[in-house]
Amino acid sequence: MKLVRSATHQARRMRRRPLLYAGAAVTAMAMALAGCGTSGSSPSASNSAKPKSGGTFTILANSAFGVADPAQNYTLEEWQLLINTHDGLTQFARVAGVPGTKIVPDLATSIPTATNGGKTYVFHIRRGIKFSNGQTLTPSAFVTTFERQFTVPGPTAFYSDIVGASACSTKGCNLSKGVVANDSNYTLTINLTAPDAELMDQLALPFAYAVPPNTSLKLTGNNVPPGTGPYMWKSYNPNTEAVLVRNPYFHVWSAQAQPAGYPNEIIEKYGLQVSNEVTEVENGEANEVFDGDQIPSDQLTQLNSAKYAGQVHVNTLTADWYMALNTKQPPFNNLKARQAINYAANRSAYVKIAGGPSLAVPACQILPPNFPSYKPYCPFTTGSQTVWSGPNLAKAKQLVKESGTAGQHVIVDGTNDQVGTALVQQMISDLDSIGYKASPQLLSASIQYPYVQNSTNSTKWNVGWSAWYQDYPAPADFLNVLLGCGSIHPNSDASPNIAAFCDPSIQAQITKAESEEATDPSAAAALWTQIDHEDTLQAPWVDLYNPKQIDFLSKNVHGYKWNPQWYILIDQLWLS
Amino acid sequence: MLTFIVRRVLWTVLVMFVITVITFIIFFKTPGVDPARAIAGRNSNPQVLAEIRAQFGLNRPLFVQYALMMKSLFISRNLVSYSNQGLLVVPEIGAAAPATLSLVFGAAVLWVILAIAMGLAAALLRGTVLDPLLMIIALIGFSTPPFWAGTVANLISQSSLHNTFLFSWVPPLGYTSFAQSPTLWFKGLVIPWITLSFLYIGFYARVLRANLLEIQNEDFVRTARAKGLRERRVLLRHVLRNSMITFVSLFGLDFGALVAGGALLTEVVFGIHGIGFLTYQAFTNLDLPTIMATVVFGAFFIVLANAVVDVAYAWLDPRVRPT
Amino acid sequence: MATLLEQVEPDAGLQPAIVGRNPWALAGRRLRRNRIALAALGLFLLIVLMSVLAPVYAHQIAHENPFAPNLNGTTIVNGKVVPVMQQGTGGLHLGETPIGPTLDPHHYALGADDLGRDVAALLLYGGRSSLQIGIASAVICCVVATIVALIAGFFGGVVDAVLSRIMDIIWAFPVYLLAISIATELLTHSNGIPVGPFRVGAASLWVPTFIIAFIYVPYVYRPIRGQVLSVVNKEFVEAAIAQGASNLRLMFSEILPNVVSTVIVLLPLMIATNILTESALSFLGIGVQPPNVSWGTIISDGEDLLYTRPWVSLAPGIMIVLTVLALNVLGDGVRDALDPRAKLRVEG
Repeated sequence: MKLVRSATHQARRMRRRPLLYAGAAVTAMAMALAGCGTSGSSPSASNSAKPKSGGTFTILANSAFGVADPAQNYTLEEWQLLINTHDGLTQFARVAGVPGTKIVPDLATSIPTATNGGKTYVFHIRRGIKFSNGQTLTPSAFVTTFERQFTVPGPTAFYSDIVGASACSTKGCNLSKGVVANDSNYTLTINLTAPDAELMDQLALPFAYAVPPNTSLKLTGNNVPPGTGPYMWKSYNPNTEAVLVRNPYFHVWSAQAQPAGYPNEIIEKYGLQVSNEVTEVENGEANEVFDGDQIPSDQLTQLNSAKYAGQVHVNTLTADWYMALNTKQPPFNNLKARQAINYAANRSAYVKIAGGPSLAVPACQILPPNFPSYKPYCPFTTGSQTVWSGPNLAKAKQLVKESGTAGQHVIVDGTNDQVGTALVQQMISDLDSIGYKASPQLLSASIQYPYVQNSTNSTKWNVGWSAWYQDYPAPADFLNVLLGCGSIHPNSDASPNIAAFCDPSIQAQITKAESEEATDPSAAAALWTQIDHEDTLQAPWVDLYNPKQIDFLSKNVHGYKWNPQWYILIDQLWLS
Repeated sequence: MLTFIVRRVLWTVLVMFVITVITFIIFFKTPGVDPARAIAGRNSNPQVLAEIRAQFGLNRPLFVQYALMMKSLFISRNLVSYSNQGLLVVPEIGAAAPATLSLVFGAAVLWVILAIAMGLAAALLRGTVLDPLLMIIALIGFSTPPFWAGTVANLISQSSLHNTFLFSWVPPLGYTSFAQSPTLWFKGLVIPWITLSFLYIGFYARVLRANLLEIQNEDFVRTARAKGLRERRVLLRHVLRNSMITFVSLFGLDFGALVAGGALLTEVVFGIHGIGFLTYQAFTNLDLPTIMATVVFGAFFIVLANAVVDVAYAWLDPRVRPT
Repeated sequence: MATLLEQVEPDAGLQPAIVGRNPWALAGRRLRRNRIALAALGLFLLIVLMSVLAPVYAHQIAHENPFAPNLNGTTIVNGKVVPVMQQGTGGLHLGETPIGPTLDPHHYALGADDLGRDVAALLLYGGRSSLQIGIASAVICCVVATIVALIAGFFGGVVDAVLSRIMDIIWAFPVYLLAISIATELLTHSNGIPVGPFRVGAASLWVPTFIIAFIYVPYVYRPIRGQVLSVVNKEFVEAAIAQGASNLRLMFSEILPNVVSTVIVLLPLMIATNILTESALSFLGIGVQPPNVSWGTIISDGEDLLYTRPWVSLAPGIMIVLTVLALNVLGDGVRDALDPRAKLRVEG
């Protein structure tokens, strides 16, 4: 999932998730996750009071998440709310920590095993569940839900292997062969054109959450269709606020998938600068600073104070902040040049720009820590090959000499907000230190991301900033989506393989890993690790760091839970 | 008078036409801009983008698109934002206008009164140490970047001194409409009013002082003095009126510009969702419909403000006839 | 307020003939006698000199490259080696704070900014950009506006109406869109865009200069036009017409001198306004582009450090205030010196 930063000064990050997923088949290796996340919470007073319902929970976010229609919206900001208002066939367990990556059944009674060579799944749908407008949930709701995926403009790649999907477009979609609903015995059959081991994960994303069968197939704009969750959308205006109230028809059918929520009302307000958001939460005038907003330096310093003990939580994210190297243009069409800048990049400086070691961890490789198939690997440093300890300028300069690219002009592209500008300037400094002549190209955030993806601009930049956050825990989500040959779409604004990196032998291994997922998961996992290391050595990127995320809550908020998929679980918080 | 009004109305229409055309052209000349991509929601595949282009007429010649946009802005008033297909632009402008008007009117009243007082005082006290002192205060005022002033104001009133009696009455940032709660409307605007006017008082005081000192030596002033009028009467009735030409011209321009969205940094810093805030969102997201709507709204007020100023000239200086 | 008439000497009959003097020389002499104005001029020249000597400070005194980030660097304070960026203390150790002012010119006299760069050195370099942009754009703006205002006020009628409406259009212009558009256009053409014989690159300071000059023309135009309108009907103009003066002579020899004092008042105020506008554009990322710095970029860089390191924003702010102050006082002095009715003015 791509993080796109808005150009607003203070709130520099707005989550958008444009993903073009090229249909791999990898099982969510939730149980294979190694270790625990390095998360931290400031020491708090004992939190032994009993949770109680009630109150209004207010979130402050710098900007809204665009159109609210769940068939189009691809932002964490709305997803954190949609998981409370809607349900899907499956769900990530609504608990904290690593167990929260496990897939559990939600509107389905159980997770079915695939038949027909992995191409058919039969779900039994729970009875007695109502939408927030009183309509009863029937399996045919899902037909509408999946058809909307194609008739409403938005990402379609997750579900493009449903039978009949290839003929779908915004003009119309007939999935009667791919999504078969039987309203009398309450079953839903999904037929695929090819096995897809990630299907259960994809069904747990809000795109696939049930909406009433008579929901319009056109974009519903900012009116969110009714859902089955404990809350419902009362209103949403991106210039003011979103209001969620309790769904009167909700009852708990699975506490693991969809527990009851504590606050009576959830409000998300938009438009304040992040520094002011932090101040309001400090004053107790609001309850949460949206975790996607970047907290500026002054306020970070304030949050270290003992006054806010227990209110600040930091969690490692499975995400990369990196600089893609344009492998189609000199000098970085040369492997040695790419490796040179990787050796020279001063990752601890980038970490400081991100707010210091408590907010970012230097990264060399593609997969982030705590991710399936991650094994630490960092060839681009002095000494050890597993952990970055410092740049290796001598090696870098030697590689530049060997590549014959010394003195070439390099354009570094990034966004023109404060952090973006700082990262670009540090990269320029690193490039200049090994003999290149680097210059900046700072663009508005809404322009920058499509710009570096589009191959027509390829001659105009050499190093381009980008960031990627997981969609769900599957190595293909990084390795194939961002560096696979199939992710290069010429002349398109949507070509997530920004570096335009394509190595046929690595691609062959990716294909092998994907096909091995279902049959031999541990071999597949090992293969993904190998692919990660090989990709890293080919240096299509300069990976900078893996960010951590801050949750800052007001004093009267309790019950903090952090889920690796959805991050802060809002409706599980309670107010005293 | 009537011909004056009719002429100005016609000119207003022409100004709006020209400015919207220019805005349209600048937008489409910006590299990397693609309305279809914004409408389709990021990273849609090329097939979907093509469908969107056909559906929204984005393949048609620019002047056709312009005409369609003007129609949906003025006639059917259902112009939809590019960056959020669920947002109708015209009602948003309508909702934002009261916030900006409240902010700008209040600040304007404050700065006009204080600037006149300061300018008069400086001119009166010329030769004493208070004149340069006042001028230094004035200069500090308008040498301050607006966003900086706002941020400092917030730092003090919301953060550092928020719990003291000085600022505990300050509500959380944001605009409350007068209809909803007059006291909250007022309390929430006091600090923004002071901050915004702080930036302009100095400029205007300085301009006024300079003109006052100059006019001192005009013949008609000597006549007034020779007639034996008291100095204060000379000052207020004769000198001040004639010194206001520059003051009033600038005021018309600044007022028009602020209502048109010029207070955007102040609005952003104080969380007031007015026209300036919308303008800021619009050019951040490169959302042409909102940009167009704010530009049209602004153009109207600017022409109106200038027309009022032109009429005021005639009153201030009877030698001037409004064109 | 007292208006003193200079004492008129009684005619002693045996006085030698009074030699007439060139009015410009008289003006110059009056200016030279105005000590406050001279002090202001001195202050302004000092600021200019400091900016010009920026490389000397950076390389000779501070010994560093002020434009390169120095996040992992160290410096010496009171004999001890100190990191330039320090991690937050207490709690979860969030954030990185740059070093504060040390008042040691060799070591981060005014502290470091968010990239670990020397604020004092950047301040001097920033002066170059801000002074150039501020002054050039103000001069261009005032000259153009005055000429157009003279034409509009003098000819009146349709000419005035058309010109004034053009000014309205400029004033209603979507400035930020224009700035983004131009900045993006320039940035995506790596060799710059040819404009006549010149090549304009993204980092060129002329881009913000012309944008700012352009958008403020109406702001100077209107007051000048107002003044022109009130002068155009005066007796001495009629007299000049009776003498057969051409339009050009009327505009520039009769009317202009009477409105020039307004221009002189506005010019330093516009310099201030323009420096601040450039600061606002830089705050939004569409003003001065890296690697150039200006007082505006330093202020916006210091925005996030207002509470912990206020000097990053305060220092350039103070420079702006001083520059504006100097120019305003100097402007007052120039105006006083040029005023043909100076005999009737209060001295000092």
